[in-house]
This record gives sequence, structure tokens and C-alpha cells, in this order.
Amino acid sequence: MSITVIVPTILRPLTNQQKQIHIGGTKVSEAIDQLEQQYPGIKAKLVTEGAAHRFINIYVNDHDIRFQNGLSTCLQDGDILTILPAVAGGSRI
Amino acid sequence: MNRPLNQCVITGPSRNPATHFAATAFSLFYQASTLGIKMEHPLDETATGRFAFTFRTPVTTPVTCDITAWGHDTESAQASENIIQAACGMMSVHGRAGGKIQPLGLHYVSTLTAAMALQGAVAAALGQLRGLTVANTRISMASAALLGASQYIADATVSAASENLPAVKKSECPAPPFISSDGVVFELETLNADSWLKFWTRLEVNPVLAGTGWTAFLLRYAKASAPVPDELSHTLTQISYRDIAALCAQTGMSICTLYTLHERVADQRFKDEWLNGPWAFGLNTDAAHAQAKPLSCSLPLSGLTVVESCRRIQGPLAGHLLALLGAEVIRIEPPGGDPLRGMPPIADGCSVRFDALNRLKTVREIDIKSASGQSEVMALVREADVFLHNWAPHKAAQLTLDDGDLAGLNPALIYAYAAGWSTQDGDARTPSDPIPGTDFMVQAYSGVAHKISQACGSRGGSLFTLLDVLGGVIAAQGITVALLNRFMNRRGGKVTSSLLSAATLLCSEDFQRQYNSFDTQVPPACVLSEVYETKQGKIAVDCCNEEMVQRLLRLLDEPTDCAPPDVHQRLQTVFLTQNASRWLSLLQQAGIPAVAVAEDLSDLPRNAQLQSFLHRGTYLQVVSPWSFQ
Repeated sequence: MSITVIVPTILRPLTNQQKQIHIGGTKVSEAIDQLEQQYPGIKAKLVTEGAAHRFINIYVNDHDIRFQNGLSTCLQDGDILTILPAVAGGSRI
Repeated sequence: MNRPLNQCVITGPSRNPATHFAATAFSLFYQASTLGIKMEHPLDETATGRFAFTFRTPVTTPVTCDITAWGHDTESAQASENIIQAACGMMSVHGRAGGKIQPLGLHYVSTLTAAMALQGAVAAALGQLRGLTVANTRISMASAALLGASQYIADATVSAASENLPAVKKSECPAPPFISSDGVVFELETLNADSWLKFWTRLEVNPVLAGTGWTAFLLRYAKASAPVPDELSHTLTQISYRDIAALCAQTGMSICTLYTLHERVADQRFKDEWLNGPWAFGLNTDAAHAQAKPLSCSLPLSGLTVVESCRRIQGPLAGHLLALLGAEVIRIEPPGGDPLRGMPPIADGCSVRFDALNRLKTVREIDIKSASGQSEVMALVREADVFLHNWAPHKAAQLTLDDGDLAGLNPALIYAYAAGWSTQDGDARTPSDPIPGTDFMVQAYSGVAHKISQACGSRGGSLFTLLDVLGGVIAAQGITVALLNRFMNRRGGKVTSSLLSAATLLCSEDFQRQYNSFDTQVPPACVLSEVYETKQGKIAVDCCNEEMVQRLLRLLDEPTDCAPPDVHQRLQTVFLTQNASRWLSLLQQAGIPAVAVAEDLSDLPRNAQLQSFLHRGTYLQVVSPWSFQ
């Protein structure tokens, strides 16, 4: 089981500047937990109160997980998990 | 007091400017009138390559302002609104949503140029009061246009390979705006994915498809296109507007119908906004003891400090313009930094779209929601000349950072609010339902979207964030005016501008045509203003009068007596026979304004007339549009 995680520039200081990371996990949450084990601090940048952070978009093969099963979205071997900062950035404060 | 420059005078040829500057002249004199500036009209000058006016105050020597189409070394080259839109990439950005190069259908560049020219003149006078020797300021329509498109230019020209935003498939049905079963055209807005998901789920749309739509919907701010899946648009065509509005209310979505321009011009509230001008000034605090800070360089606002707490485009652009004029801008960001710093594409660890508007600022990370953070802001404001924010309505009061709160700390402060909806607190011009004051909602509500749709044959407005940009420009302009007033009259206080007042400014010709309330002439419409495909590349051609059209037809050996629709078709057929460069050479020799359309923003530096306004860093940066002598 290998998932490719595409890391945005903004988070690369936490991943030793790696752009792509290969990791395991059957759900997005498991993949993030494994990321956290290898790169401590990254989970806090992605998850807050059990859901993806408002300013972070997580895609599985180009599909936003918020429109699937959130952090419980299932992963399959060869899936690409892309992390991107949100575009609009939310409302004014 | 809403006429802060009523002791000042502008002298310029408003009654008969060269045709290609007519729209700029109209907007300039309208804006100046709303600031209380007295107009004097001397014998009209004959120079056609530039438009010049003189700005006088009771306490400075006169400042002349020269406006050209391109740079000042190409003063003889004529260019009108659409020529500049074509050359500077605005048509390209605006046309993305509809899949074809298209003019905005507004005197947008002319309005931007007028606002920045007036701001330059006011800044120069302010510089004089602070010891600067400056008698002339210059600006060009091209530099104003490039500045307006600077975020898109940054996005298109980043040199480092980096992550891209997710791919979205092109849609057959351009959307938004959407249309209901009863034929109502409307915009939807939300910045919350959960609301979007609830809305579409209630309409029994597949969540994955809704997610695809969300990505496209969000991207419209960054990419000026929104290929929302056809299934989503189609779903709404089966439901009445009333039911859609009810569903929006239940799911947290916002909705706004597209009002017609006619409705807005006829509306007394909008007429009042137009008569008032783009700003509301409340300059009533005592600034007699303001410290006159020395200049730190040869720019007119150098030595002045601006504290900015803004997000997205409108407010940050205002701060950027003040920085370009020399101000020290301290930007407040939340702990961890503004999330938009991470918005692709990235260069040197920062979003280039973000950097394009914020690269000249000093950043302080402050949690303004906390008491200690608010104290930090207050400490900054005590020493500042300007505080600028674009928070949601009522937030400033909640944070105890309202104009009254800060005037107590620093009576000389210029407190600037770059708002969404209205320049008046609690004013009835704000929509009755609380909807977010975002560019596309304000376009719909103000009549600007309708005006664009009429000109472009489209359903709605532009996905180029034209109100955010113009809103930022008038915010900076209002601040500069308030600063000059402070130095002249020893008063501090508040200046408010908004996306809605920017929209009304863009429609000022329509109001003037209806009410004729200002002593300035509405510019005539161009007789022929089109984009043509050639054998290789597209060209934009502008004929400001009938004589020029006849000259064009004779040049191309076409009959001079055919009807306008036939003229367009005939010209299109002829232009397809040669390359763009060949046609441009011929048209230039004949004195007919024409230019190669910048279809790809990364090609902008190839245009020699634009090179002096662009700087190649990790992305293509737009430099200051002003020069001072």
C-alpha cells in the first residue's frame, strides 16, 4: 500500500524540503498520522478539531475530501494525496 | 465634511480633451468635483499624445500631472481604452471565462488612470508640504492597467516550477452567474465549503460533483474562470429563484440577483452615492499636534507610517499603492502568517499573487482577537499616520479598534476603512440581507455586471476582480486626500470607501448621462472598437470617430459606404489575410490606433512599450506607475 503525498511549498520546511512523500494508510486520517510520525508538527498544520483545517484543501486524486468522507475518505494503493492551501482564504477575520 | 479639497483647484482641458483621453478626463473631473476641487477650464490644448492638468492648493506651488497612453518616451503614440486593455492583458483575463478575448465593456483603465493621476498630484502636493521639491507627476494608462492586472501577471510569469492549483475541466456552460427556472440571473457566494456542500446535497447533486464545482468556484478569484460542472448550473435552471433563495438561507449560502444598470441609475440611493463620490470623509479630529515626520527618500509619502490589517485584494492593494508612494507600511497578519501566503504558485516560499500586493511591507504577526493583540495594534497606531482595514462590518467595534477608539489614542490618525458595501455605516445602500461584500456579489448588485453583460453579450459580469482592484485604488486615493487635508487643515479622522462605491464610480458616465449634475462631458462612444483575428495573432483596432473608420476602410480597399455590421465582417475577412505584425505596421502608418492583443500574460515583456513598467524577479513585477520630478 503506497500513497503519494504532494507537499505544498509552505509545508516543506516540515518535510526536509521533500515535495513528494510515499506513505501508507487506508484512510486519509491514517496517512496524516503516519506523516506526523515521520515529520512531527505537520498534523497540526492540516487538522483541527477532527477535520481538515479551513485554510487547507486535501485532495485524493483531484477530489476534495470534504466532498467525500473527510478525513475518513478511503485510500487505495497508488492514490495521490495532494495538500494545497485554500485559494480564497476565508472571510475577513 | 465630505469635500476635503474644497480649497484646491484643477486646471485642465475637460471640455475638449483628445478623444482617446476623453474617458480619463471625464472620470478625473468627476472624482475631483466630488472632493470639492474647483475646476478651471483654460483654452484647450492641442497636444494629442498626452493629457495634462494642474493641481493647485492654497499652500503649495502648482503641480502638473501628465497622463500618456504609454510611456513618456512614446508620447506620440495614441491609444484608447480598449487598445490598452488589449495590450496589457486585461482582455485576456476577462475573456477566460467566456473562452474568447474580449473587452471589459467599461472605461475601466481610464477610470483607474484618472484615480491614480489625481492621487499622484495630491501626493506631490503633500510631498511639497513635507519639504519635497516636486512640481510634476506622470502616469500612463498602460502602467495603471498593468498594476490592475499585477496579480494575474505574477501568476502567469512565475519562473520556478511549483505546485499548481488543481486542474478543472472546461465547462460548456459558462457559469456563474446562474439562472433559475423563472429566468432570474443571480450570483451565489460562499467562502465555506460546508455551506456549498449542504446546498448541493439538498438539491440531490452528487457530493463528488459538488466538490468539483467547489474547486472551480473558488478558483474564479485566482484564475478568472469558473468552469463549474454543467450539471450544477442545469440543476438550478429547474428551480424557481424563490426556492433557490430559500435554500440559500437554510444552508448558509448567499445569493444576489443581477440588477440592471437602468434600475441602479434610477434608484435615488445610488444617485446619492454617485453625487457623494466614492468616499465618505469624517475628518473632524484635532491634528494640530501631529508630528511632522521628515521625508526619508524622494517619494512623497516617505516617512509616513501606515498600519494595515487587511486580507485578500482590495485592502492589501491600497497598502501597496501607499508603499509605492514611499510610505512605510506595517502589515498585521494573524499568528503563523496570512494563509494566502501559501496560495500557489509559489516562489521563494511565498505565493506570487500575494507577494505582488505585499512585497514592500513589514509584517507583524498579531492575534487581533486577543486583548494583548489589540493592545499591540494600539501601540502601533499611536505612532502611525494611517490605520487601514477591510474587516467585515461591525468587527472594528467588536475589537475595540473602531475610529473612535483609535482617535482617542492618536487624534491625527487617518482611519481608513476599505469596505464591501457602503461608505456609510449602517446605510440603506447596503443590501437588506447580510451578504458578503465580495467582488462578484457587488458587481451583480451594483449594475456593473449588467453593464458588462450588455457590452459583451454575456450573462454576467467579469471574473477579473475589477472592483477589488478599483476599490483598492480609491481606498489609497482617499487616504492620500485625507493626509493632504491633515497637513493643510490640521484635521484627522475617518475615510471610508467600498467596492460598491468603486462600482458606482465605474457607472458614473451613466449617471451623468441621466442627471447631468457635474460640469464635465460624458465621453463619446468609440465608433469602431473590435478585436480581429489575423493570419497569426489577434489585433485590437479602435476608431474613435467616423473619419478614422473611413480612413481604415480606404486603407484596406474596402467600400466606405457599407453598414456597421458589414464593416465588421468585411474587416475580419481582410485581416485574416496577413499576420498581425504586418497589419500593425500598416495601421500605425495610417495613424489608426491598433495593437497586438496580449493573449498570454507571459508575453507582456515582448511589447517594448510595456518593458519599463515591468521588472523580472522570480515573477514579473509591476513597478510604480508614478514618477515625480
